[in-house]
Amino acid sequence: MTNTNRREFLALAGAASVAGFAGFSGGRQMQPETNSKLPLAGQTSPVAVVKASSYSVDLADAMMRGILECGLEVAGKTVLLKPNFVEFDPSTCINTDVAVVATALEVFRSLGAADVKIGEGPGHRRDTFAIAELTRYRSEIPQFDDVFIDLNRDDVSPIENFADRKTFYFPNSVLSADLIVSLAKMKTHHWAGATLSMKNFFGLVPGSIYGWPKNELHYIGINNSILELTRLFGAKSFALVDGIVGMEGNGPIQGTPKKAGVLVMGSDLAAVDATCCRIMGIDPTRVEYLQKAADRLGVIDPARIEQRGEPIAGLRTNFELIKEYSQLRLA
Amino acid sequence: MYYGSITLRESKVSADSTLVPGHPSHSASYLGVRLDALRKNQNADGGWGYFPGKASWLEPTAYAALALTGDPAADRAWKLLSSWQLSDGSWKPSSEVSFSSWGTSLCATIAIARNEWGDPLRGGVNWLVGSSGIESNWFNIVVSRIGLVKQERNIALKAWPWKPGNSGWVEPTVHALVALKQASAQLATRDLRDRIRQGEAQLMDVRSRDGGWNYGSPAALGVDLPSYPETTALALLALQGRSDLGKAFDLAQQQIGETPSPLARAWLTIAMRLHGIQPPELTGPPPSDLMITAVEALAAPEGHHHLMQTGAVA
Repeated sequence: MTNTNRREFLALAGAASVAGFAGFSGGRQMQPETNSKLPLAGQTSPVAVVKASSYSVDLADAMMRGILECGLEVAGKTVLLKPNFVEFDPSTCINTDVAVVATALEVFRSLGAADVKIGEGPGHRRDTFAIAELTRYRSEIPQFDDVFIDLNRDDVSPIENFADRKTFYFPNSVLSADLIVSLAKMKTHHWAGATLSMKNFFGLVPGSIYGWPKNELHYIGINNSILELTRLFGAKSFALVDGIVGMEGNGPIQGTPKKAGVLVMGSDLAAVDATCCRIMGIDPTRVEYLQKAADRLGVIDPARIEQRGEPIAGLRTNFELIKEYSQLRLA
Repeated sequence: MYYGSITLRESKVSADSTLVPGHPSHSASYLGVRLDALRKNQNADGGWGYFPGKASWLEPTAYAALALTGDPAADRAWKLLSSWQLSDGSWKPSSEVSFSSWGTSLCATIAIARNEWGDPLRGGVNWLVGSSGIESNWFNIVVSRIGLVKQERNIALKAWPWKPGNSGWVEPTVHALVALKQASAQLATRDLRDRIRQGEAQLMDVRSRDGGWNYGSPAALGVDLPSYPETTALALLALQGRSDLGKAFDLAQQQIGETPSPLARAWLTIAMRLHGIQPPELTGPPPSDLMITAVEALAAPEGHHHLMQTGAVA
């Protein structure tokens, strides 16, 4: 697709969004009034898998197709794009690629969002903007400083009951967003098995209160924290997982790049993450947080996931697993 | 990417617009511009947010108060911070948040800088002496000693957490050590001295193989983790007076030339100054990040970095 065609496509897609996807009959709509993405009995959650062989292909087209396939409504909403740049290491691929983030910014604006911001609270490093510099976000995303919110140091408000904590604080930008887009990286994780759209929510927790690293979440329990974050924010979220080049082995920091060549999208975060796992050769029913999320926060049973876009059978590429997680391998 | 002069994060606060003619610090100097930017962005409650127009937080307020020591703006900041001290002697991190925080150390350092050695400081110091990472509780130590759980650091050495109920990490440990070392000039007790000794030993125990420090884990699952410039700088701040840090200075010299982080450069500059090493010159406009602006002001040649001086504690 040429640049001109791409712009036209985005404009058309934006118009379609403003019109509420008139004529689009598939997909489940956002349900911000509930805490669950669980489809009703007999219904399914749509997950779109779109091939993207590299970061140089027309990502806007790929992203837009996936979003449309999932029936996401964006028009008029305040959108927070949440990439993963927990750390930086030039020798591997820890972060959501800048091309994915820049394209998502463009796509969600074109879909008629009232406002689109990018927010992240890195887990280990204090100077978030310096990490954004290293990841090329600041140099390659236009007016990055104007659209970026350091979630570690945003103003906060309390919410009641987060796991066994009576009060827990979250950034106001997170609490006030109409739609959070989890722009996760497809990676293995040496404590959780895999880190995808749900685990990516760790970056929503403010370091100004919980520190660097966000040790509070480890004491609550990594799996429990993933579930709680999804319970709180899953209903107003959309997952867009960068699996073009993921990370295998000793992820999420010290693994090695692994090309999967896909973007995976959907409003049911558990369904998206389960689909990613199957692409990675991981059995989602053996990933503790997905097992516990199943039929509570979303679905992971393939019979209840409505696969759209590319069939995943031909996309599976086994991600190397550390020996502690070898039992996660999909049969 | 740039190295050297500060060009990151173009200031949204024009240097010229922050200058107040006739003000004592009216100056286009690196320090003067930063102090003026801080004065201009002080909130009505006396504190500073991390960014202009945001709610006041302890951390940026504390650094700004130190940078502006002697200025009426610092008095207003201290008045606000004083109102955030809790009944157990600790400080909470903002008006919104209700529990104790590592920022207690920064408030103790401010109190000492202001030569206020009364009950608020004593309460804060006592709280710090009694505070430690949860990994160092007796149960975990026993479990570790009998080999049921393999630890990648010596948990018998007590560090300080970001908040109670969490593990100890490098940055809160550094600021606790600075505060307690300074406090030891007048408030020395055996417990305080013991915590200082343990804290220093703990920092040395979590040093990365490259000679510096990261957030506090030199390895994960047996794989070495590299140091970061900002935490290496902070650890050097806490370890003033030691003579066994040579490799860390070589690393700091390298990091200050390579890091894109103005925060890391400012902390490295402070650490080098306090260890008697001439750092590279800091240049450029202040960032829109008020916490970094304050730390940069402390790092300036004529800045108040000496307020973090501790020397060695016997």
